[in-house]
Amino acid sequence: MIRRIPPKGYLTALAGVAALIAPLVMNDLTFLMRMMLAAIVVTGLSLLMGYAGQASLGQGAFVAAGALTVALGTTRLGLPPLAVLLAAPLVAGAFALLVGPPLLRLRGHYLAFGTLALLLIVQTAMSAFDGLGGAFGISGIPPFGVGSSIFVGQLPYVYLALGCLAVVLVLTHRIVHSRFGRGVRAFAGSETAAESAGVPVMRSKVTIFAISGMYAGLAGALSAFFTPYVSSDSFPAVESFTYVIMAVVGGLGTVWGGVAGAVLVSALLQVLNTVSSQPGLPPTAGPIMQYATYGALLVLALLFMPRGVVSSLDGAFDRVAARRRAGEPA
Amino acid sequence: MLHIDDLVVRYGSAVAIDGLSLHLEAGEMVALVGPNGAGKSTLINTITGLVPPASGSVRCEGRVAQVPEGRQMFADMSVEDNLLLGGWSIRNRDLTEVFDLLPDLAGLRRRKAGRLSGGQQQMVAVGRALMARPDLLAIDELSLGLAPLVVAELAEHLRVLNRERGTAVLLVEQEVGLAFDVCARACVLEAGRVVASGPSASVAESDAVRRAYFGDLAADETKAEAVR
Amino acid sequence: MTELFTYLVSGIALGSSFALIGSGFVVVHRVTRVVNFAQGSIAVVGGMLSATLLDGLLPHGLAEPLAVVICGAVGLAVGFLALGRRGTPPLISLIVTLGVSMLISAAIIWLWGQDPVSPPGLDGSTTLLGVTVERQRLLVVGATVLAFTGLALFFSRSYVGKALTASASNPFAARMVGIDVRRMGLLAFALAGMLGGLAGVLVAPTNAVSFYSDLPLALSGFAAAVFGGLVSPLRTLVGGLGLGIAGQLTAGYLNGSYQTEAALLLMLVIMIARSSTFVHEEAK
Repeated sequence: MIRRIPPKGYLTALAGVAALIAPLVMNDLTFLMRMMLAAIVVTGLSLLMGYAGQASLGQGAFVAAGALTVALGTTRLGLPPLAVLLAAPLVAGAFALLVGPPLLRLRGHYLAFGTLALLLIVQTAMSAFDGLGGAFGISGIPPFGVGSSIFVGQLPYVYLALGCLAVVLVLTHRIVHSRFGRGVRAFAGSETAAESAGVPVMRSKVTIFAISGMYAGLAGALSAFFTPYVSSDSFPAVESFTYVIMAVVGGLGTVWGGVAGAVLVSALLQVLNTVSSQPGLPPTAGPIMQYATYGALLVLALLFMPRGVVSSLDGAFDRVAARRRAGEPA
Repeated sequence: MLHIDDLVVRYGSAVAIDGLSLHLEAGEMVALVGPNGAGKSTLINTITGLVPPASGSVRCEGRVAQVPEGRQMFADMSVEDNLLLGGWSIRNRDLTEVFDLLPDLAGLRRRKAGRLSGGQQQMVAVGRALMARPDLLAIDELSLGLAPLVVAELAEHLRVLNRERGTAVLLVEQEVGLAFDVCARACVLEAGRVVASGPSASVAESDAVRRAYFGDLAADETKAEAVR
Repeated sequence: MTELFTYLVSGIALGSSFALIGSGFVVVHRVTRVVNFAQGSIAVVGGMLSATLLDGLLPHGLAEPLAVVICGAVGLAVGFLALGRRGTPPLISLIVTLGVSMLISAAIIWLWGQDPVSPPGLDGSTTLLGVTVERQRLLVVGATVLAFTGLALFFSRSYVGKALTASASNPFAARMVGIDVRRMGLLAFALAGMLGGLAGVLVAPTNAVSFYSDLPLALSGFAAAVFGGLVSPLRTLVGGLGLGIAGQLTAGYLNGSYQTEAALLLMLVIMIARSSTFVHEEAK
């Protein structure tokens, strides 16, 4: 019997090839970089929102933690770039483990606001304490490099980010399909039911929270090397909201939801940017369209496509596969 | 006055009520018995309009009010407020009738409903239903979790209600003895259909009830006979 | 000493608006279990509307109530979108309200631009207990007291108010007695819209609002509501006043820019300290 490659496999391969070629072809690498970093953050957020059923409106707090690790580690402590890059997700994860347990005792909307509050507090701390950058932020972050070879230009960073994204996706896939992942999915539905089935609810929630924090920290570290400057303005609340939008659009609780959401929303924003900077439109057109799009995306996506793009596509694939199977000769 | 014809009700993909027909005359007291999962609560909820039918019809010439399973109090509100809200559908805020019928409630009116005993809450639930001046009282599990004395008192209130106001009663009950005692007519529900119906005395003896509550003893006996 | 008094007064005035916004959160949450992120945006709309109406269109006393009513309508629209179809989980509704608040921000920029707006308030000051107090501040406090009294009376004495509380307390039983729970939810959103609008109208003369004010206002309002456990308007009032006063004192005696953050930290602490109570409340 010939095993057909599932259509999902084709898509994944296609995406991989496109991702490898894109940096060579596109000229706005900053856009591409930001999109990939967002994908990393949102993959983690999608896990948190989709599996643990918790909304975080302030993932930027953990992005900041990762970025600060890199900024402080290189400029103040003189550590080698590779070391701080590996340390950043660990620091962010530790931060999440620290604030997670108390925050996660709050359900639903309390957690959402709690993480937002956390982000704002982190921002304030960064601008208040000179040790964390103070009013001017931290600049002079050295370029990334291993040993004696140093990154030159933007392209190597983009491939580094791509590599990290690939690692993140593989990791997420393993998590989702592990026994742990199945246990978490159980309690997204009903915590009391899962608890009586032996799933350690609180511990699982904290773990997922920490994982999403680690992903965010990794993205923060990469961005610190890429834009070699970190300040309290680098992590506005709007950006954290954008992560939520991307997670919702892409599909909560799926492996590829982060990537799908990041790509779709970033592309949409880029289109808007171009449109709103056309001559003849008022200068406020930009922010208006941006906010209007964010808002419309969230509202429309949640009301009409609540499972997000990936899940809806998945559903469509399953239906196609089922039809194919039904059409096969007995 | 209650006409249910070929009713089908679904919960998702499961069929809770499977082609059920039932008729109730004005002023009748009818018991509805059957094992767990037979669809009794679903039927009550459909009659009072909380659950939509998939097909078939439910027609009632008059108002229906429900005394729900588990009392379903507005726990942080006072007894008085609970009663007042019972009259919402007809904007009835006059408590005198209910206090006449259930005088104990008058003494409880300021108490928080959530703090009352089970029996008291059940009385509030009945009073709340009565505020809608119903022609049919649909009661889901009157005796659940209540002491026998309390239940007997409530049952007597129901009899008085039926005698003096002519209010019809549809009583869903696990406690078969209570059900047949209070109601003249009975129906047995099994897997979403009526499998037996008639005067309570004869239904009480029927195979259907025995089967529903005690398992298929008759069939077991026949098998045992055949082996011997 | 007069310095302390000034901070107290401005703290109470600011805190009143937090309390009003917070009570909007409470009203909506009690009935629908949804947290309405757009509360802050509606307050901003209220402030800006009153500025526009007072600018030659209507006099004091007419412009403000009209602005409040319009905000009620905005709240109703938010409710329609947030409640969505039957069975929308509250967390989804929260994010929908986040989206709606962004739509409102877009509308604000479109209608009023990006600069802060401050409507004219009541001029002049009077002396109270030997100290000079601005009339505007007194108005804020007076209006807030009236609003909260009205709210309390509404929920405890009026039939509709009781129906609203019942919808929150036991939605099944509410439907059973014939209450249209969805309509009650929309009513709650409209009421919250008016409360938010009133907050904006009252606070804008002394603290100018712009499209980015919605976030700190929403957060402070939410913090006040958290203090009331998202269910008690009275405790929300206390929480709001406390936050306002604490913020002003921080601004005056320590450093001005950390008001919101101090409030947030306080909110986080309170939320966590009370988290066991929340579990009990959520379970209902």
